[in-house]
Amino acid sequence: MKRLLIVPLFAATQFSMPVSAHAEEWTYTDGSGATITLNEVPTRLITSAVAAAALIPLGIRPVGIFANSVAEENKPLIGLDLTGIEMVGTAFNEIDIEKVAALEPDLVVAEFYPINQAWAGGKAVTGEGSPLRNLAPVTGPAQADSIVTLIEDYEELATSLGADLSAPQISADKAEFERARDAFRVAVAAKPNLTALAVWAGIDALHVAAPEGAAELMDLRSWGLDIITPETANDRGYWETVSWEQSDKYQPDLILIDNRIATNRENAFAQPTWTAMKAAEQGAVGEWPAFWLRNYTSYAAELDKLTAAVTAADENLVEE
Amino acid sequence: MTVLAGSDGIHAIRRSLAARRRRVTVILLVALLVAITASLYFGDYPVAPADIVRSLLSPVTGDVNKGVDFIVLSVRLPRTVLAILTGIAFALSGAIFQTLLRNPLASPDIIGISHGASAAAVVCIVVLGISGIGVSLGALAGALATALAIYGLAWRGGVTAYRIVLVGIGMAAIMSAVISYLFTRARLNEVQEALAWLVGSLNAASLNNIIPLAAALAVLTPATIYLVRGLDVMQLGDDAAMALGNRVEWTRLGLILVAVGHAAFATAAVGPVAFVAFVSGPIARFLLAGAGGGFLQSALVGATVMLGSDMVAQHALPATQLPVGVVTGIFGAGFLLWLLAASSREGRVA
Amino acid sequence: MASTVRTYVGNQQRMLGLGLVGLVLIVTTVGFLSVTVGARAIPLAEVWTALTAFDPNSTDHRIVWDLRLPRTLIGLLVGAALGLSGAVLQGATRNPLADTSILGIHAGAAVFVVIGIAVFGIGQLSAYVWLAFMGAGAAMVVVYSIASLGREGATPVKLALVGAALTAALSSVVSAVLLTSPRTLDELRFWQVGSLAGRDMSILIQVWPFLAFGVVLALRTARMLDGLSMGEDVARSLGQNVPLSRGVAGLAAVVLAGAATAAAGPIAFVGLTVPHVARAVTGPNYRWILPYSMLLAPILLLGADVIGRVIAPPGEVQVGIVTAALGAPFFIALVRRRKLAAL
Repeated sequence: MKRLLIVPLFAATQFSMPVSAHAEEWTYTDGSGATITLNEVPTRLITSAVAAAALIPLGIRPVGIFANSVAEENKPLIGLDLTGIEMVGTAFNEIDIEKVAALEPDLVVAEFYPINQAWAGGKAVTGEGSPLRNLAPVTGPAQADSIVTLIEDYEELATSLGADLSAPQISADKAEFERARDAFRVAVAAKPNLTALAVWAGIDALHVAAPEGAAELMDLRSWGLDIITPETANDRGYWETVSWEQSDKYQPDLILIDNRIATNRENAFAQPTWTAMKAAEQGAVGEWPAFWLRNYTSYAAELDKLTAAVTAADENLVEE
Repeated sequence: MTVLAGSDGIHAIRRSLAARRRRVTVILLVALLVAITASLYFGDYPVAPADIVRSLLSPVTGDVNKGVDFIVLSVRLPRTVLAILTGIAFALSGAIFQTLLRNPLASPDIIGISHGASAAAVVCIVVLGISGIGVSLGALAGALATALAIYGLAWRGGVTAYRIVLVGIGMAAIMSAVISYLFTRARLNEVQEALAWLVGSLNAASLNNIIPLAAALAVLTPATIYLVRGLDVMQLGDDAAMALGNRVEWTRLGLILVAVGHAAFATAAVGPVAFVAFVSGPIARFLLAGAGGGFLQSALVGATVMLGSDMVAQHALPATQLPVGVVTGIFGAGFLLWLLAASSREGRVA
Repeated sequence: MASTVRTYVGNQQRMLGLGLVGLVLIVTTVGFLSVTVGARAIPLAEVWTALTAFDPNSTDHRIVWDLRLPRTLIGLLVGAALGLSGAVLQGATRNPLADTSILGIHAGAAVFVVIGIAVFGIGQLSAYVWLAFMGAGAAMVVVYSIASLGREGATPVKLALVGAALTAALSSVVSAVLLTSPRTLDELRFWQVGSLAGRDMSILIQVWPFLAFGVVLALRTARMLDGLSMGEDVARSLGQNVPLSRGVAGLAAVVLAGAATAAAGPIAFVGLTVPHVARAVTGPNYRWILPYSMLLAPILLLGADVIGRVIAPPGEVQVGIVTAALGAPFFIALVRRRKLAAL
């Protein structure tokens, strides 16, 4: 086979041919449903920021990370040891393809969005026909309606890549998460009447999250927390945008504010009608780790904060 | 009193103007060649100059080195070619509009055409959840539909340049409002996707987007050359052009269509890269200093600006790569500001 | 003969004066609507009670006092500022496309706000006000100083070119920050749409002195603008100091547009269109164009805001979007209907 212009370089691609029997073949079925087969287990990975946040604690260290900001500002990456890992992209949809080529990657790991049937990271990075795809195949789990499921998908991928999930640190992390989750369950069970509302407080409107659009909210709900579903999640099923004049439309016992940005909390507290919600007036305001959790350690830390917020809240603040 | 120059004098002036045109063209060609060479040479993956030449010739000679060939033939060459083609297309589009409408503000990125393409693309990304080639097709359709709407709405027994510009600004406002609204109603990752498209990037350069653009230019550019001959008449003003009747109206419509075509195909390939359409014409006119011509030189300026900006975007910041559209704005604007300041010092009116 | 002309002119003046009175009435009506109509249905009687006998424990009363009143006052002032600054800029540059968004003011404000969010982690609207104001001022100073290099001074074409160039450069800086900082993008996308929602009295208190100064200054430029509209040479031969006139007009425009952008975010379309509408009614005399622009713009802005509050319950549509959706078709119809007076 002769290809003139686009030559796959350091690795075989999805289209790789059958291999000789004695090679240690690697096969993985990804979130898009495609199965990838490589001649040998890939060791040099380029990953997205969230994939790195999932894989590094499982003992799989990528050689390069592409993110949509510098590492210090990237919520999923904060707190991880990134020494020796190159940042090969710090703007959305941009990647330094020559730096990636020099790293000689075997595999690219990102996440698949089932909703628009596309890989995360921007179309110039992970889309069909991108230069990155000519260097290594793109794979990874699909975004699920549970962070726990997503972490388990990553565990499966990590195992296939040679991770030992029984290593002491990894099992300790998981045990810590299970302790935090059980504590959360107990706290929620103690308050059967408690209702919660997850919000993003904008400067000109209050955005009420639909739990169905956020995997971690679905987890919390499955552990017993009663999260209010907005009446009409008109913004593509993820949010209901509510005028600040209508901020008392929902009356939860506990409010959870998106904690990706610190100023979100300040914005909320600055609104004159923020306290039209009784929970806000009583200070029953916790944090919602929106969309960024990818490993047991950070999940456990966030769960402990949520448990404290649930314990402090008054389940009968608002009568049904 | 005006002194009529003798025919010798006129010939001498014509000769000196033609010489100036040639000089400017040669200088611009050299600048573009330098930019092309630099674009093929610089990169984070070190490749020796001799290797670059060998790589470029490898399809002919069969002398293959996979690692280097990937960098040169699959990364740097497509990127360079796409930068040149889009630079030419944006520059011609802007130069035609600015000349036709006799207003330096009348480039497609001000009078609504880029906005139409952008709004259509954002609708595709944010509302319809489309990505990839669908977005480009949507942008193409958006640009053409907006242009037709502007022309149709400006038509009242004929169009005037003034009405086209004003209607275009109205359309631009509507389209910008659509984009802003969708930005406040979408998920953050969709907004990022849309913003990345709006800024414009050469990141995905490959034969997939080079071939359609090259084909479009192969049709549109000769059409431009043919139609531009009718342009001198229109420079006289709307009233004079009107007096000359229908033929002028058709020429004008034809020019608008080819200008829109240039902008639309370039936008579909790389997104609405800022300011190349706006700045190329004025830079070329400044260099020519009244020596006539302008379209060829504008195209050369556009290609050089695009290529130079992309290199800055790739290599200026050590750890961050930015899309080309970020730099064209800064680069093009800086150059235009410098020209304006320089020409002011010399007492010339820009 | 002469007396007929005088009578005609007198009649026209009287009609225009009556028109102004009519506009004041409409502005008052829109202001009344803005206090009584909103995303939350509050009965008229309750609004009255809120105004006369305020009960701090009533959410309805708090909404009237803390949300609708500041929003209405800011809408009126910002509208007047946008209309006036647009008219003054178009007159001073003699370019019908001159607008605060083209002359770099919005882009300057946006850059400062973006840097405030991205670098200093500022997130409060009240802090954006100062950032936006400084950015707008800095952009205008840069545009004006570059454009006035050279003997002929800041000519309209140079101002427009420099403004557009600076706008492009600054917008690129904004894009660069936004693409590398999703956190900033998440904040800025709500600021840059242009909105009156969420603005409280503290913002009004911050910007009103600038708006008042700008309005007074702008209204005093009418004679200079009339002079400039006859062409620079005529203006000069009539003893006018052309660079000074432009400087005063520019200062008025930047103070007004800067304060308006600081309070409500970049609202592009009002300053551009309203002067054209005013000119279509009044003819070329700036003594009338300026007050007409000053009254027509708040009608458009606040009227659009009221509509935006009720068309998408329980949310709202931002005023920047409604003004464009309403104003642009109207503007296009106007362009089609008559040849707009060239400047």
